[in-house]
Amino acid sequence: MKPRYAPYFFLAPFFALFGVFMVYPLFDSIRLSTYSVRGMRNQTFVGLENIERLIADPLFWTALWNTAYFAAGSLLLQLPVALALALLLSNARLKGRNLFRLSFFSPVLISGVFIAVIFYLLYDRRYGLVNRVLGSEIPWLQDPDLVMPALVLAGVWRWAGFNMVYFLAGLQSIRQELYEAAAVDGAGPWQSFVHVTIPALKPVIAFVVITSMIGSFQLFDLPYVLTEGGPGNASMTMVMYLYKHGFEFINLGYAATIGWALAVIIGVISIIQVRFFGVFREN
Amino acid sequence: MNHLGKAPLIFGLLFLLAFPVIVFRGDDRSDTLEFWIFAQTHYEEFSARIPAFEAAHPGVKVELRLISKLHDKLLAAFLSGIGGPDLSEVEISSVGRFFKGTKEEIGFVDLTDRIEREGISDEFVQARLAPWSLGGRVYGLPRDVHPVMLLYRHDVYEDAGINPASIETWDDFVRETRPLARDEDGDGRPDRYPLMLSAHKPGHFWLLLLQNGGGMFDENGGIIIDNDIAVATLEFYCSLLNEKQLAIPEFSQDPASYAAMKEGVILGVLAPDWYISFVRRFVPELEGKWRAMPLPAWREGERRTSTWGGTMIAVTRQAENPDLAWEFAKFAYMDDEALANRYRKTFIIPPIKSAWSNPVYAESETYLDGQVLGRSLTELAPDIPGFHLNPYWAEANDLLRLAVYEAANGIRTPADALSNLAEQVRALLQESTVVTEDGELRLPSPRIESTETE
Repeated sequence: MKPRYAPYFFLAPFFALFGVFMVYPLFDSIRLSTYSVRGMRNQTFVGLENIERLIADPLFWTALWNTAYFAAGSLLLQLPVALALALLLSNARLKGRNLFRLSFFSPVLISGVFIAVIFYLLYDRRYGLVNRVLGSEIPWLQDPDLVMPALVLAGVWRWAGFNMVYFLAGLQSIRQELYEAAAVDGAGPWQSFVHVTIPALKPVIAFVVITSMIGSFQLFDLPYVLTEGGPGNASMTMVMYLYKHGFEFINLGYAATIGWALAVIIGVISIIQVRFFGVFREN
Repeated sequence: MNHLGKAPLIFGLLFLLAFPVIVFRGDDRSDTLEFWIFAQTHYEEFSARIPAFEAAHPGVKVELRLISKLHDKLLAAFLSGIGGPDLSEVEISSVGRFFKGTKEEIGFVDLTDRIEREGISDEFVQARLAPWSLGGRVYGLPRDVHPVMLLYRHDVYEDAGINPASIETWDDFVRETRPLARDEDGDGRPDRYPLMLSAHKPGHFWLLLLQNGGGMFDENGGIIIDNDIAVATLEFYCSLLNEKQLAIPEFSQDPASYAAMKEGVILGVLAPDWYISFVRRFVPELEGKWRAMPLPAWREGERRTSTWGGTMIAVTRQAENPDLAWEFAKFAYMDDEALANRYRKTFIIPPIKSAWSNPVYAESETYLDGQVLGRSLTELAPDIPGFHLNPYWAEANDLLRLAVYEAANGIRTPADALSNLAEQVRALLQESTVVTEDGELRLPSPRIESTETE
């Protein structure tokens, strides 16, 4: 074999698997989204009917709203918490920093199903720790108005520590001279934060915002175990709705359409964010 | 593209070569049975017994595999046509998804003729074959019956002077247990509840509906969930939760419900056999304080039980040796002594009537104050209600969850919630009426032509 072909053979296993398990299903799902699937084998070409049905499906919009709510909650609550933790734990005077860092990071090491079980116990109306602390009997998971905020809080607990690590890495890469120069110019801690830390962290913030958004739109395991999409459909997310049609109703054509709708929505939001943050732009 | 040289060609070639390697398995596995199960307790039971089957069938190997998310993976195997086991267990709440489409598309082997030929049909509780049947054809052997009883706090009943024997109907239950649901701390809610019913999940309502003679579909595939029986059942169900305040809105397997039992807040639960063992396990403090009685009937002299939950074993169409797989299915589910051992651990009684003569079912149970639970369960078992499966079972069941939630929480009236559910399922059935390429009108009816397809 000629040496110049060798790299292709070393890379071949990845591309073969990637092709079989990613590229082919991806393109086949486009084909599938134009079919009505009845049963295991019977597929009928319906063109754009699935898209028409999706637009007219109130449950799809409910799922989209719930998913967007969770994503917005992640953005507005989880990321500030992650940044605050990173700022706190980057303070050299704090004793036991590494222990705290590990503690805040550790939830991401636990499976989503297990986290859901923990929060199921925490949120229980009568015996849950949250209500015991508050001295209340709030039906966190039974009230359609409270279930999404409850899920957002569980998401914060799970992911804030993970995003904290990105912010910590970003903070450590900011040159100390910038703070010293700001101090010479008379900047206080808040002004240093606003005019030095935030601009220097911009690439990290962009990365965390974009990946958190994508992750939030793919939310599945937490509500699937914690609420099964309920009460009613108050915590139904797009991926849960996709799963329901794909794996429970065997309505694969419609499930593929939901999947592509999700991909388009994530794509559009990501492009907006990339442009907003100026990612890939020189300087 | 020129700068990429031959790379796309080479990768394309490798991609094509990889397909058959991944997709096709060339080995002959006709002497190996792959058996998928979903529960750790089942794994322990079968792994202890498989050596006996292998010893009786020299050269045969049974590969027992505990599969997480079994139903999703089994479905994927059926859809793709490869990678499935020879045999699999299926849980009742997930079975609907496997009966989509025509008879030819069902991934399980039709066992009807084998069951009839070998004369084992009569050995089973007949209603118990229904959840695994479609169009009169049986696709699995049942593992259980799961008759439902009312588990009640007999110490509290005694203190309150309630005679369980006087509770024959649900109206009797309401009248007799009302004094137990007093609000002594003045918070506007009872301090104790004679019953637990879910306001969000359909399980409790479903078993009461079955007991009352209702169901989701009739034998012709028509929707009956909005008939008078269903509406009356849901109205009574909601009244227990709301107006009468005799039922606490909790669900059976939630940790909070066990905590409420320990605190004496819950005084009665709808309990299939398996759930009684759950209560024994999670509420050991109440040993000797519970007893089980037949469910109150909807009308005097009528059915005193229902059924809730279940598992089947099925031979898949991907089995290379269906005869051998069938032999193993019988071995796995029809051995008296194994079933007796299972009862000791789980209180689950077998669906095979002849097995009930085993002395284990006449043993008294200390957790239930010495009651002979096995006898009570086996007396009720022949009377469990059946129901009719349908290719649109999964969709209907999902909508039932919503209907129970809406009715129990006052969002819709029971009649309106069930009518809305029925309308949606009818629309689904209507929409699913298709004309095939050969001009044949195909309805999603369970009445599928009974041709041998093994």
